[in-house]
Amino acid sequence: MSARVRALVGFGAVALILGFAPNMQESLEFPRFYLIFLFTMFFWIAQASSWNILTGYSGYFSFGQGAFYGVGVYTVGVLVVKQGWSFMTALPVAGLLAGLTGLFLGLVVFRVRRLTGEIFALTTLAIAFVLASVARLSPSIDGGTGIFMTGTPLPGFLGEFTTAAYRLTLAITLITVVVAYLIHDSRLGWGLFAIRDDEPVAEGLGVPTFRYKMVALGANALLAGLMGGVWALQLGFVTVDDVFNIRVPLFVILMSVLGGMQHWMGPVIGAVIITTLTDRLNSAGLTDVNQIIIGGMLVVLALAVREGVYVRMRRRWVTTAVSFFGVLGLARLLDLNDSLISDFAYAMVATVVMMLVPDRVWARFGELFGRSHPAEEPIGAEDLTRTGP
Amino acid sequence: MGGLYALMSIGISLSWGALKIINLAHFSFILLSAYIVYQLTVSFEVDPLLMVLVVAPLFFMLGVLVQMFFHLAKVDEFKSLIVTFGLFIIFQSVMQTIWSADFRRIGPVLNPYETQSFFVAGIAFQLPQLVAFVVALLIAGGMWLTFTRTYFGKAVRAVAQDPEMARAFGIDSRRVAVILSGLSTAFSALAGVFIAIGQTMFPQLAVAWFGIVFPIVILGGLGNSLGTLTAGVIIGVAAGVSSVLWGPLSAPLVTFTILIVALLFRPEGLITKRSIA
Repeated sequence: MSARVRALVGFGAVALILGFAPNMQESLEFPRFYLIFLFTMFFWIAQASSWNILTGYSGYFSFGQGAFYGVGVYTVGVLVVKQGWSFMTALPVAGLLAGLTGLFLGLVVFRVRRLTGEIFALTTLAIAFVLASVARLSPSIDGGTGIFMTGTPLPGFLGEFTTAAYRLTLAITLITVVVAYLIHDSRLGWGLFAIRDDEPVAEGLGVPTFRYKMVALGANALLAGLMGGVWALQLGFVTVDDVFNIRVPLFVILMSVLGGMQHWMGPVIGAVIITTLTDRLNSAGLTDVNQIIIGGMLVVLALAVREGVYVRMRRRWVTTAVSFFGVLGLARLLDLNDSLISDFAYAMVATVVMMLVPDRVWARFGELFGRSHPAEEPIGAEDLTRTGP
Repeated sequence: MGGLYALMSIGISLSWGALKIINLAHFSFILLSAYIVYQLTVSFEVDPLLMVLVVAPLFFMLGVLVQMFFHLAKVDEFKSLIVTFGLFIIFQSVMQTIWSADFRRIGPVLNPYETQSFFVAGIAFQLPQLVAFVVALLIAGGMWLTFTRTYFGKAVRAVAQDPEMARAFGIDSRRVAVILSGLSTAFSALAGVFIAIGQTMFPQLAVAWFGIVFPIVILGGLGNSLGTLTAGVIIGVAAGVSSVLWGPLSAPLVTFTILIVALLFRPEGLITKRSIA
């Protein structure tokens, strides 16, 4: 079996286990809350992974995630509630419309060759506010009153409402991660990496830069829109201020920067860590401080670990395993907290802190224990860490 | 309105054009300055316009500190987006914690400027906006003269083009950058003073400015203060006209359309001759 087939089988297995988790809830007696927690985690994994297809792979920094997500949410909201469509027909339309939004944006910004990635970034930042004002102005979309999203009928074979929503989220997340994985090891992916490292050179070597960038942006927008469409199910009440705000782009950027933007696993790991931490902070009643912590983390991480935690985790896999499972086991043993999620949160924090130690200090630390350190800094690490067009 | 928009954009444009740092935190600097003016005026019952004397030096120092931090951490243009976005989020939540999400406004007793207006050629101008325009004009003109006529301006242009080369020719590029960052932050603080005088403040206001300020910065040309002023007036008038015609919510739509049209036809900005970088 080739590596790719093995990976795909792995994805399938994980999806099957998670997909049947709701059925096992009764026999295993874990709290229902865990399912909702996983549901949130899937949402962020999908958002971060889809964002990374464009920004991580091609280096074009996008703040447009909120806009694509918002288009998805509102398409489902309007079609299902106001037009009476069934959810399963509205969802593809949501993805499609979000994808078209992305392509339109790309058509404008990528066509002008002299434009830098920074101008692309700011244009994507502006588009969310434009869409927000469109939604506010037009009574057929929102008109400033919001949309009530309760009791949307879902197909019966997926189970009752919460379970069905959970499985739909899982499905979209799986699709997103698989797409990110497949692009990572494909001609398209290599082309995008070349664009990230040096666009003029890539173009000179025959990479169809415009087409590749459009595909990446389109995929990003489409997947984000699909996820937004599913997420609309559990929002209950959709308003412009809640949908088109800075939260989605902020978290997506933070997760990917934390996990690492070069590899498809980076955003997944980042999303898992950040959702766990914010969940714990919120349940500890620290919602106000939450944003400050998140902002501070973004600053520190962007400066401290350029390549992201994931690359370092692979390089220091022994430390990763020891600190994660050690702290996890310790927390279980000491019974610090009755929640399993808290124990995981401690373990993750410990691991991330270990990963934050700079490479130089790390190498010296290794020498202390009489270890030479040829494997710490692989040849070509410089290329791995380069970002930006 | 155009003058105020231009004033808000000049600092960001300068820092982007000359320092290669896209400082999203400028938006929170503007709002923070506005809140400080509000707080001082309400607490000590002084004239809000006098607050310029307090806020400008304070924010100059803040700008200097921020730039020193950037030097220390070796922030480049790309990283600056992430780092300043983080700073922006921090400042936003701090402001939200201190002043809450409520609407704030300096009362009419303490703020005699808000209601005064002038009529020029049959069009009503509110005093705060008129003063903001004059200040923007002074700053833009002053910066243009500085950049073209003085040694410091020459140094800034050299640093903007190639900091390494500038250093080789004996320019202390770090000092130039620090001073420039201080100046651009002080300009943002000035914009905040006029926001405090003329508008109702709430934390989310800073987010709403994104859609207006970035079109102005890009349209005006990076680091080009006169271009920024012109672009500010154009966008301000366009936003004003659209507010009258289609309601105040349509303004972002119009400014964004202008941005897209501008990107398609003049991606290098309106006036290109005297751009710094």
